[in-house]
Amino acid sequence: MSGRGRREPRRDLLLRAAAPILLLGLVLLALAVGKYPLSPADIARAVAGRLTGDDAAVPEAVSTVLWRIRLPRVVAGLLVGAALSAAGAAYQGMFRNPLVSPDILGVSAGSGLGALTGIYLHLPMALVQALAFAGGLGAVLLVTALAGRVRRHDPVLVLVLAGVAASAMLGAGMSLLKVLADPYTQLPAMTYWLLGGLVTVTGADAAAAAPGLVAGMAPLVLLRWRMNLLSLPDEEVLALGVNPRRLRSVLILGATLMTASAVSISGIVGWVGLVVPHVARLAVGPDFRRLLPAALLLGAGFLVGADTVARTAASIEIPLGILTALVGGPFFLWLLARSRRAW
Amino acid sequence: MSLLEVRDLAFGYRHHPVGRDVTLCLGPGEVLALLGPNGAGKTTLFRTILGWLPPVAGEVVLEGRPLAQWTRPRLARLLGYVPQAHAGLFAFTVLDVVLMGRTAHLAVFGVPTRRDREVALQALDDLGVAALAPRVYTELSGGERQLVLVARALAQEPRLLVMDEPTASLDFGNQIRVLDEISALGRRGIAVLMSTHHPDHARRVAGRVALLKRGRIVGEGAPDALLSVHQLARLYDVDPARIGALATEGWGRGGPGA
Amino acid sequence: MTTRRSFLAAAALSPVAWARAGAAGQPGAPDVAGGPPLSRVFAAGPPAAVLVCVLAPESLLGWPSRLDPESLAWIGPPAADRPVLGRLAGRGSTVSLETLVQLKPELVLDVGTVDATHASMAERVRQQTGLRCELLGGRLAESPALLRRAGALLGVPGRAEGLARRAEQILAEVERERPRHASTSVYLARGADGLETGLGGSINVEALEFVGARNVAAAGGEGGITRVSLEQVLAWDPEVLVTQDSAFAGSVRSDPVWRGVRAVRGGRILCAPSLPFGWLDNPPGINRLVGVLWLARRLDSGQGGDDLREAVRAFYAAFYRITLSGSQLQRLLGETT
Repeated sequence: MSGRGRREPRRDLLLRAAAPILLLGLVLLALAVGKYPLSPADIARAVAGRLTGDDAAVPEAVSTVLWRIRLPRVVAGLLVGAALSAAGAAYQGMFRNPLVSPDILGVSAGSGLGALTGIYLHLPMALVQALAFAGGLGAVLLVTALAGRVRRHDPVLVLVLAGVAASAMLGAGMSLLKVLADPYTQLPAMTYWLLGGLVTVTGADAAAAAPGLVAGMAPLVLLRWRMNLLSLPDEEVLALGVNPRRLRSVLILGATLMTASAVSISGIVGWVGLVVPHVARLAVGPDFRRLLPAALLLGAGFLVGADTVARTAASIEIPLGILTALVGGPFFLWLLARSRRAW
Repeated sequence: MSLLEVRDLAFGYRHHPVGRDVTLCLGPGEVLALLGPNGAGKTTLFRTILGWLPPVAGEVVLEGRPLAQWTRPRLARLLGYVPQAHAGLFAFTVLDVVLMGRTAHLAVFGVPTRRDREVALQALDDLGVAALAPRVYTELSGGERQLVLVARALAQEPRLLVMDEPTASLDFGNQIRVLDEISALGRRGIAVLMSTHHPDHARRVAGRVALLKRGRIVGEGAPDALLSVHQLARLYDVDPARIGALATEGWGRGGPGA
Repeated sequence: MTTRRSFLAAAALSPVAWARAGAAGQPGAPDVAGGPPLSRVFAAGPPAAVLVCVLAPESLLGWPSRLDPESLAWIGPPAADRPVLGRLAGRGSTVSLETLVQLKPELVLDVGTVDATHASMAERVRQQTGLRCELLGGRLAESPALLRRAGALLGVPGRAEGLARRAEQILAEVERERPRHASTSVYLARGADGLETGLGGSINVEALEFVGARNVAAAGGEGGITRVSLEQVLAWDPEVLVTQDSAFAGSVRSDPVWRGVRAVRGGRILCAPSLPFGWLDNPPGINRLVGVLWLARRLDSGQGGDDLREAVRAFYAAFYRITLSGSQLQRLLGETT
């Protein structure tokens, strides 16, 4: 897009048609590969069996692996990737900074603290996930409440700084829990949670996270036009007839709901919320009406792809956060190096 | 009925009053230029009139109703604001930027419709820059950006425009273009309240002029009378002799080459 | 994390490390220390705590981490009454060096991996505090030697010798039975969801591998703890599932996805007891001696039979000085079926 002064409608149409098809292809590929050897014939038979309702001929192991292990994992990957990416796009628009990620207001740190607390207290996994969700949501509510009391010229900057401070404190809490934890049983569990991954995702997990994801998406979709206005200084937004503080609050709440829900089942997966929306913006521009669907598709595809690599590339499971960082980090540097004037 | 009436307005910040006893009024199609030295309070006055800052005393009345009774969306359909052209951060197209002005006419969850696009394109066309519509805003020149921001304000279909130094940092040619558009707006019946640092610009477009010094109106009326050497010297605290020849030889009296 | 490699390196280094730390006994040399039993010993980590608790509980200054109340009840006084003091583990320490100095231990004992890192950590503590620090290798196969050396250090060589002989007997017996288990594939399920396991050679699966069973996770390489997906476990399809987490053992039987694993379908889920200390892992100390015996028996046939009960009773009496009641024995062995 550098140097070009206009958007080409034909190219957009092509992207819009191709993207969902590519994603579907990726999903099918992800379902077809894995540690358990399933031949294409096995898969075909299993799918046919599901569709016709006649599962009898399909071996139980094939059914189990395909429907109970791989499918929930792929679905979770789609949801988490889409959620983190959409939330990232929203935050980047709201904070007028393309280098912002959903972590900025402390949702990841709060989730992490909630989860680590659950692990430390030997709670069952479902409660750990609930605590992660509550922690993430609570952290952001705290930050926005604190920031709201400070009346400064630039409310966005105040939010960001409050988020940084909160993340630091919550991070200290996490470190403390890691020190106090039992090094043989709790510490590995904590470490893996913080590295992020979809290893243990079940259908129930994905179902539990879905309401939060959908509820959080709603304001982003409904307010997709108004989101564009937040790229202007607050006073201009007022002049255009919209209350920027209220708009931001609603959008932050939505994005946070999405992020907290995603993180509660996947742990902390970094870089997806930072790099993917950026790439989406380079492809389709900053207009949120187009950026949102692009970010969703791209995020979903990226995470499913990364997770598929994570579970097939090596003999052990590679934590998802490591993979996304390995891809995201250098990519991010490359983006910076391009030194564009505008994003 | 006058569009805008400012009555005995005292304005400023809670612990820092900036001005008082300001009384102005503006009717449809009138162009009022506000001049004053740096720090006189022009920006603060505008912020109060636009409703971003509560008045310390007095009131601002729009179309007969006090400012406090206007809801934001309704106010945006009456009053358009044109800031100084800024660089912009995200690469929106010009059309998208102008469409942002239509937000006040949309429902809360609404997106711009075909009608909105037509209004936006018409606004650009009125300013003679319809060709810019598909371009990326951040790649335009300063003058082009200023015109786009005027178009954005016009897309709100306002009856009153508030412009903050619309010719700042523009080259000579762009300055002329923008000023001509302001005159045209006046002729179309849209009232314009603008601040400027250039007495010559005020003389060119304004039907009336107000002089603001240290937060008080020190003069209001026709440009010829108020923009005399003597008045300007007093307003800006400079030696009248230094203004001298430039002023008497005429800066844009009537038209180019006069 | 490749403890096998580091063990070889440590074997080369250990005489040096011990000389630096001022060890009283050289490896393989007869007990030279002699002297009265020590009365103030600081255990740097859980395996060391188990060792001191077994050999000379009255000298234990405190525990490196909190034990649950039931374990403490089984251990009984005097050791059970000691406070929790914290771990000494380099950067991961939860006890401050000042507290350590205040306690004035006659010996700081650590049991675990003997590699250059840990040896240098022990040396640092010695230099900073002037206290006597000893680092002993904790691999299962070395248990008799460990007991003897520790006995010498703690001043209880007699007791240590008796226990060392028992350890030798247990290990020899299990070694004899090794060929029988060579073809049995086993998966060690750690964590609440059972999807954590130990790679080949890791200290967590030492007991498993000593018994001679085939650790399915060794196919994934050598190293420490790792996470695996359920799909991977299904692909490995182990014959036997071993765990120390009773909650997991209970839930896995009814989990429809886990039923895809041979071991679950066939009911061959072995849940190791953990009172007062884990039988297979956590901590990886001499508490595992009873575990290897149990595991070897259980892999053979479904039940342990009476001689397993006798062996466990004897072990507890000798090592932990606990006389197991019938119900306690039932609890230990019964809860594993």
